Amino acid sequence: MKNIVVFSGSSHPHLTELICNQLGLVPGKCNLSKFSNQETNVELFESVRGKDIFIVQSGCGHVNDNLIELLIMVSACKITSAKRIVCVIPSFPYSRLPNSPYTKNGKTISRIPESEKSKLENLTKTVEPSESKQKKNVSITNLGEIPASNDHSGQYKHWTCRAGNLVAKMIVEAGADNIMTMDLHDPQFQGFFDIPVDNLSSQTLMTKYIKMNIPDYQQAVITSPDAGGAKRATALAESLKMAVALVHKDRGFHNDEMTLVGDVKDKVCILIDDIIDTSSTITKAAQLLVDNGAKKIYALITHAILSGDAVQRINDSVIDELIVSNSVPQDEHVKQCKKIKVFDIAPVFAETIRRIHNGESVSSQYRVSDIYME
Amino acid sequence: MDAPSNSIKIFAGNAHMGLAKLIARRLNLDLAKAAVLKYTNNETSVTIGESVRDEDVYIIQPGCGDINDNLMELLIMIHACKTASARRITAVIPCFFYARQDKKDKSRAPISAKLIANMLTVAGANHVITMDLHASQIQGFFNIPVDNLYAEPSTLKYIRECIPDYKEGKVVIVSPDAGGAKRATSIADRLDLEFALIHKERKKANFVSRMVLVGDVKGKTAVLVDDMADTCGTLGKAAQTLVENGATKVYAIVTHGILSGKACEVINNSALTQVVVTNTIPHEDKKKLCPKIATIDVSPTLAEAIRRTHNGESVSYLFHNVPA
Repeated sequence: MKNIVVFSGSSHPHLTELICNQLGLVPGKCNLSKFSNQETNVELFESVRGKDIFIVQSGCGHVNDNLIELLIMVSACKITSAKRIVCVIPSFPYSRLPNSPYTKNGKTISRIPESEKSKLENLTKTVEPSESKQKKNVSITNLGEIPASNDHSGQYKHWTCRAGNLVAKMIVEAGADNIMTMDLHDPQFQGFFDIPVDNLSSQTLMTKYIKMNIPDYQQAVITSPDAGGAKRATALAESLKMAVALVHKDRGFHNDEMTLVGDVKDKVCILIDDIIDTSSTITKAAQLLVDNGAKKIYALITHAILSGDAVQRINDSVIDELIVSNSVPQDEHVKQCKKIKVFDIAPVFAETIRRIHNGESVSSQYRVSDIYME
Repeated sequence: MDAPSNSIKIFAGNAHMGLAKLIARRLNLDLAKAAVLKYTNNETSVTIGESVRDEDVYIIQPGCGDINDNLMELLIMIHACKTASARRITAVIPCFFYARQDKKDKSRAPISAKLIANMLTVAGANHVITMDLHASQIQGFFNIPVDNLYAEPSTLKYIRECIPDYKEGKVVIVSPDAGGAKRATSIADRLDLEFALIHKERKKANFVSRMVLVGDVKGKTAVLVDDMADTCGTLGKAAQTLVENGATKVYAIVTHGILSGKACEVINNSALTQVVVTNTIPHEDKKKLCPKIATIDVSPTLAEAIRRTHNGESVSYLFHNVPA
């Protein structure tokens, strides 16, 4: 292929290699490092003038470092007259954010690590300026009394900023012309961008995996671990003509109870989700399925971030097999957990890159993608 | 000033809580409630704890430490205040992010400082307050107002009050490189002191090979003046050159003490008598490793700039004076 350069960010060079192998290309030469003051340094050694540039960077590991690195790479290509810059972001950062640091029953959410919990005190406690101060008369302005935290009448509802829209605007502002990603947590996320977003689906890959690797899959039950993923699970079940079950969190009541909808007795269950992060939801759901008589639990998930104690939790759980994609590097996870199996998404991305470069339809790929996989 | 629609909120990220508290104390305010933390998956999370609707919001976050994390904290905080209908959002960035990556000095080199300017704007900042930009032209990267404050008045005050030989007039102001000559001559003129220049031949970034002194420092106290000290390779070698040329003592006064890598070790082993940095960047831990480091507090200047900006007064007074 002519006039195309595929650069790899530092988050997932192995995936870039796999994609480039499929395309018969060599990844573009570049040096990505950090100066001694922690600023990101980007040097591109390949001419980009008038070419299609694809930059592969997944949202994982040090998310912020990787994001800023991506922005700097895009910007460097933009100011040196690249024809088109496509950001290939298999796992999109900041795409799934809670809107409060607390669950409805008042606990801190599982993705806040112990070491950071003390910072939440700043929300209820006044942050005093250093040393004692005499508040005579406020020189600048009348601040008005801030209501005490136990005064519910005037309490401000704490809310966490959802940065997805900001990240989208930043990537566009840096100079990207097109975004390629997979299984966005919210399909509406595409609307945050003012540029085309190709949201690829892992459904064909998952279907194929189930058909080839799960014996008697027709008798198994596709299960969604929460109500939000019901649509994803039913779509997959429909294409495979399988039964569906749903685990649903009763967050309205003041407990952590989960309820199962559907029958799983003596059945094999396949949990389907888009992201597995701290893995607390899915391991609880799996436990509930076993309690209801399921005989084997598979979990099939696109983006395996597996942060915090996730791997340990999976090891301790009743999940028999966790099948995840390589949208995020999995070598470390696989070493620590024998239950993890990985399926390769590089063929789908490679084919989409080829089609975008040649100006062919991407949507027709969903039907024929089986052809391009071994 | 009684109208509630015209009140002020000061937020601080995690980069330099100490400076934010000093500024807040100076303004007689509490810091606004917010929790800025990192999830297990390393994504930054900002939770705002009080209403900012129709408020004048200032967010204090210098570019230091884990630069990219601190940058994302700042951007998400700006975005959070923007989506919560703040009237005006001012990013107070005492030490600007990526300030040295400000030109395309080789093929396909990124102009990251320009990128940061765009990111701040797109996040929703209406105004930026910063200090001693590496190149003042960076102001032109923005389409929003940028107040570039100077640490010079504080530096002058320090030289007058704390450099021992100043009263005898036996002090020479020295610029450690040609690029800083303008900054150093300005200080020398204002104090009516001699001026010297060190010219260096640089082969690659963070690495200096040979130095040449232009001017006379024999029997005098040399004061090296610069905008930032990173690995301190330049300062160490400059001090050596000055001592070899007969300077009795060598001080260094630097606005942004990044002091990364082996900086503390370099300073300890160098001919420098003292390295004076401002508190645009936290360096309490570095002080423990290196007793030669002294601090100038610039929080009065930053606090006064915030006060004046909020009240719609001129800021230019601060270019030449230290607020009392």
